[in-house]
Amino acid sequence: MADTESSPTPESFLKRSPLYRALRSRGARFMETEGGAVADSFGNGDESENLAVREMAICDLSPLPRHGFKGKGALEWLRKQGVAIGNEDNRAYTQPGGSLVARLAPTEALILGNLSSENALSAQLEGDWSIDTAPDCYAVPRNSANFWFLITGLHAPNMFAKLCGIDLRLHKFPVNAIAQTSVARSVAIIIRADLGAVPAFHLLGDSASALYMLDCLEDAMGEFGGKPVGISAVRRAMKS
Amino acid sequence: MKIMLCPLNGPRNISEFVCRGDVVDRPDPTACSDEAWADYVFMQDNVAGIVREWWYHVATAYWFIAERNTVTDEIVRTYPASEIFHPPVDHGTDSGGRS
Amino acid sequence: MVGPNRLPSLPDDWLDRECIIPFSFEGKGYQGFAGDTIASALAANGVWVLSRSFKYHRPRGVLTMAGEDTNALVQLDGEPNVPADRRLIEPGLRIQGQNCIGSLKRDWASLLGYFGRFLPPGFYYKAFFKPRGAFAFWEPIIRRMAGLGQIDLHAPHDYHDKAYGFSDVAVVGGGPAGMAAALEAAKAGAEVILIEDGRQLGGSLNFGRYGTDRAAAVNLRHELVATVEASPNITVFTDAVCQALFADNWLPVIQGNRLHKIRTTSVIIATGALEQHIIFRNNDLPGIMMGSAAQRLIHLYGVRPGKRAVIATTNSSGYGVCLDLIENGVEVVAIIDLRDDPPDCPLSSTARAKNIRVISGHTIVEAKARMGNRHVSSIAIARGQGPHQETDPVQRLDCDLVCMCGGYVPAAGLLRHAGADIAYDEETAAFVVTPLIDPIHAAGAVNGVSGLEALTADGRHAGWQAARDGGFEVDARPARPTTDPAGTRPVLLPVTPHPKGKDFVDYDEDLQACDIVNTVADGYTNVELLKRYSTVGMGPSQGRHSALPTVRLAAGALGCSLDDIGLTTARPPVGPITFAQLAGRQFEPVRRTAMHHRHLEKGATMMLAGPWLRPAFYGPEADKETCIREETIAVRNNVGIIDVSTLGGLEVRGSDAAEFMNRIYTFSYTKQLDGRGRYVLMTDETGAIVDDGIAARFHERHFYVTATTGAVDAVYRNMLWHNAQWQLDVDITNVTAAYCGINIAGPNARAVLSPLCEDVDLSVEAFPYMAATEGMVAGIPARILRVGFVGELGYELHAPANCGEALWDALLEAGRDHDIRPFGVEAQRVLRLEKGHIIIGQDTDGLTHPFEAGMGWAIGKKKKDFLGKRAIEIRKKRGTTRQLVGFTLTDGKELPPAEGHIVVRGPDIVGHVTSAASSHTLGKVVGLAYVAPDQQEPGTRLTIKAEGGRIIDAEVVALPFYDPENKRQEL
Repeated sequence: MADTESSPTPESFLKRSPLYRALRSRGARFMETEGGAVADSFGNGDESENLAVREMAICDLSPLPRHGFKGKGALEWLRKQGVAIGNEDNRAYTQPGGSLVARLAPTEALILGNLSSENALSAQLEGDWSIDTAPDCYAVPRNSANFWFLITGLHAPNMFAKLCGIDLRLHKFPVNAIAQTSVARSVAIIIRADLGAVPAFHLLGDSASALYMLDCLEDAMGEFGGKPVGISAVRRAMKS
Repeated sequence: MKIMLCPLNGPRNISEFVCRGDVVDRPDPTACSDEAWADYVFMQDNVAGIVREWWYHVATAYWFIAERNTVTDEIVRTYPASEIFHPPVDHGTDSGGRS
Repeated sequence: MVGPNRLPSLPDDWLDRECIIPFSFEGKGYQGFAGDTIASALAANGVWVLSRSFKYHRPRGVLTMAGEDTNALVQLDGEPNVPADRRLIEPGLRIQGQNCIGSLKRDWASLLGYFGRFLPPGFYYKAFFKPRGAFAFWEPIIRRMAGLGQIDLHAPHDYHDKAYGFSDVAVVGGGPAGMAAALEAAKAGAEVILIEDGRQLGGSLNFGRYGTDRAAAVNLRHELVATVEASPNITVFTDAVCQALFADNWLPVIQGNRLHKIRTTSVIIATGALEQHIIFRNNDLPGIMMGSAAQRLIHLYGVRPGKRAVIATTNSSGYGVCLDLIENGVEVVAIIDLRDDPPDCPLSSTARAKNIRVISGHTIVEAKARMGNRHVSSIAIARGQGPHQETDPVQRLDCDLVCMCGGYVPAAGLLRHAGADIAYDEETAAFVVTPLIDPIHAAGAVNGVSGLEALTADGRHAGWQAARDGGFEVDARPARPTTDPAGTRPVLLPVTPHPKGKDFVDYDEDLQACDIVNTVADGYTNVELLKRYSTVGMGPSQGRHSALPTVRLAAGALGCSLDDIGLTTARPPVGPITFAQLAGRQFEPVRRTAMHHRHLEKGATMMLAGPWLRPAFYGPEADKETCIREETIAVRNNVGIIDVSTLGGLEVRGSDAAEFMNRIYTFSYTKQLDGRGRYVLMTDETGAIVDDGIAARFHERHFYVTATTGAVDAVYRNMLWHNAQWQLDVDITNVTAAYCGINIAGPNARAVLSPLCEDVDLSVEAFPYMAATEGMVAGIPARILRVGFVGELGYELHAPANCGEALWDALLEAGRDHDIRPFGVEAQRVLRLEKGHIIIGQDTDGLTHPFEAGMGWAIGKKKKDFLGKRAIEIRKKRGTTRQLVGFTLTDGKELPPAEGHIVVRGPDIVGHVTSAASSHTLGKVVGLAYVAPDQQEPGTRLTIKAEGGRIIDAEVVALPFYDPENKRQEL
């Protein structure tokens, strides 16, 4: 478990999650990642967070990298960069390095960095793209436009049913399915990406509404005993 | 609540959409009469039967066309706007280009 | 035993007799068992009067025991209109009767009953509206007399929420047909939600007689419930009311404090049927109830409904009630069978074999009560029914219980929401629900089916259909039930009003048979008008019992068939709903900028701008004026920063980007240089101004365009819509949330910002007014625009929102030696007004075109087209009718007018004020107003009429008020 003394403060970085205060008030301890601070744990012991991940939990991944590309040449350019994208819209495609590429439309994709290690693909795409080198392909600043939560646990579909009109039950919304919809009346993207045997959903939405969404999620999670967990608990679940 | 079939996102609650009314031809603003322009911007045909309407899926910022029966409220067919609108052969509203 | 009317324990009742619960009613203490409803516990204690009626304040008691009537509505602490026959008792529950002046026992308003003939339908319309204004006098008196319970405005708030639900098949109604349907659909593999409004599955099997021995119903219930509970793909909702059947099979189901919004592929409505009452004088006395209510009291709650009963029936079910009564210690004085020649059936044969007296071809004409109408004590019967009915009684029978078995009406509300109709088929004496369109199905009693075998067969058939609709593989189609047991169906003859009235058709509204007849006589023959004029069916029970007798009375009065009259439209909700259930948990997104917490730390008073929270000014509300003044001084004389993150940001990229900009905005953008900004003004196709902002060109194929906070979503949507038709090679992306925005303004802005810029030269030569570039500011990548909304040297920084807080901190730190000061929206509004800059939506309305607003300069003259071009030309040609001008007040001590105050000339209103503020910098009040076109010259005198008729003298002045040569913003 991270030592409080040595854990970095989110304010020591230029890039900050819109929720760092809210998470800190819930007991978050932070660790450095990708030039920012991500909540590592909430100080209640690994077992408690492991259990929450399996049952009902929320993890703020906002400090982790993600990139969007849009335009009629977007998918073609990404494929040229070695990104594997299939032909189905609203479906996510896992990359060899662990990144997840979400095809949002025939003209748009969203790349979510790997949760467990350095993100070579993100850095490569960010470095290679420019308006001159990528014909009809335009970068979308998803890092700052969106918050990024991971919602995990068996109760996640029932929790989402209180906020969102899409049927996310596990047998109806398979792994890698995507719903671009309204969650608590705010525009959001939901991507199913289980952690091993644990059901999990990426939730991305308006970064300016992050605190509002956290309130809505925590309220909806209440009856399932849901709580915030750190990224370490998520990484442990990925390995098991 | 009704369900709208979005060509991109599949069946969704109709509250996820915004309707913008009938698909109509824009008269040539440089050639039409004042009356024709006023008719275009202010008047609706209010057809009883199947109409072609513009619909917008808010979450994906996606415009498409729905054919809807205004008598039964049945949504007959939905499809991307590119099915009936095509890129222009010649465009240019300015008197001269930059380069 | 708790209560003198309590029966010995029955194996399937709903009580826990180990648990005794104390409660009070009208201030007096009672005891009941856990599982008792308020009404059953009171009945067990011999308390039968639950409320007073709406109009005549007559005592009322148990009618249905199913929560379907108004008689049983009671008042709890903080909660009115609680159905006493559904709500369970709880320890310490305090219950009061409703609708009484004085007490439930002695309600002085019951004297109104004696004046009943002066209170005909339409009484309110006829009596209280003349002379003019009279209703204002009468209204509070009427409302006090007519209210339903008391609302407690201080009652604590409860938590209510909503949840979506999904199924392949939803079955509404957990009776024999509903359970059989659910099982059949589940057998085919469908996911089924079974919705039951009662406490447990079973429906009428819980209390109904069905056979000569009730054991058949009890055993069937056990078997069906056990199978349902063992089916993994059936989810059961009990105590859940499906309130409507909306388009595309969307069911709002209320269970406890949650509203479930269930979407299902197919629906089976198995909501059963509602027993009907019988029309006779004083048919509302406590002790007179539906036969099924007596059965519910006995079988569900172990309460003996009376000691000496008379049963009035139009069908075989009265004989079943008779058997239930005698088996539970109630003496049955007689069965009055309204049919002339009732057919034999197993139930009637069994009853006759027990020497029960059956009087056929007769009807009850009147009930009598002991003093005060508090309980029935006898009834009088007469020969005949309908047109042949005699009103002279032939016989009186003493009794303390009258069971009314007037037949059944399908509970078809949900089916009717979906467009079905109910018709009465006189030939078969059955109700038919028709037409039903797949995937909506009906099963059981609502479908006109009766008898255990037939109900379950009909359920299986519907379940099979529903599974098939959902695309599931199904076995051979189950057989539909064909015939019903003889004698179960009622024969419906017209009703004859009693000459002395009080023969209630509608208990909710105290409507008597003659009221319906009189309404028809007043000319309201259309059933919808009849309802609205007489108010029949408009009370809480929504015509469940009044609809059929109303139709029968109207048909009798008009000499036509029941179908000629028809039924009124059925609309949601099916049952009462509290506002809390509808309001539930409301989602109102609130957007916060990256610097939100910094503003709070500085003590800002926040305001809502659409969904955004913005600092209005930095300080408490009490210091508002001082704060705004000091913030404006800081910007004019020194340097200030404002959070403008809420400004919309749109990326327009592609080879047709400039062409797209040309078509959308009024200016020309083809020749705009990279690294320069240009004003943008958007008009719609009617020529009205809809938005403005700045377009910065960063590349031949890339414009970054700002939009106003409130309009950006609509502007974005609009751009996409137009390009869906134009199909230009351009991509449009809304990046509003991705960028924070900070405007640093004031003569010292450059001095503060320069040291933070590593790779941008901010000197006036290198970075003049309206320059735009991308560079690093305090280590953060930013777009830098040199703009001048407030009319001073200023820079707008747009940086990734996740760096917003760090950038804000860096600027405040860099400006510390200059006493930099954050300013809010209020100060910005004053500053821009001093410069005469308009705010779209405040200084413009839905009609303002650019020439009216003095913005003709923003229109590209040589362009062939842009969105509003044609309309602006037409409107200009037709002549402007108003002009937006700047004004100051002649009297320096006058308080400023407010937005919306009118500009008058003689008797005419010629315009209105759109903005006004007291400017510290200028030492006077300045504002913008629409005036007549001939008043636009500077120096013209204006008259403004403000609040309370205050007249303000003003003078038109040239814009801008401040720095007319625009030197300061170009420093």
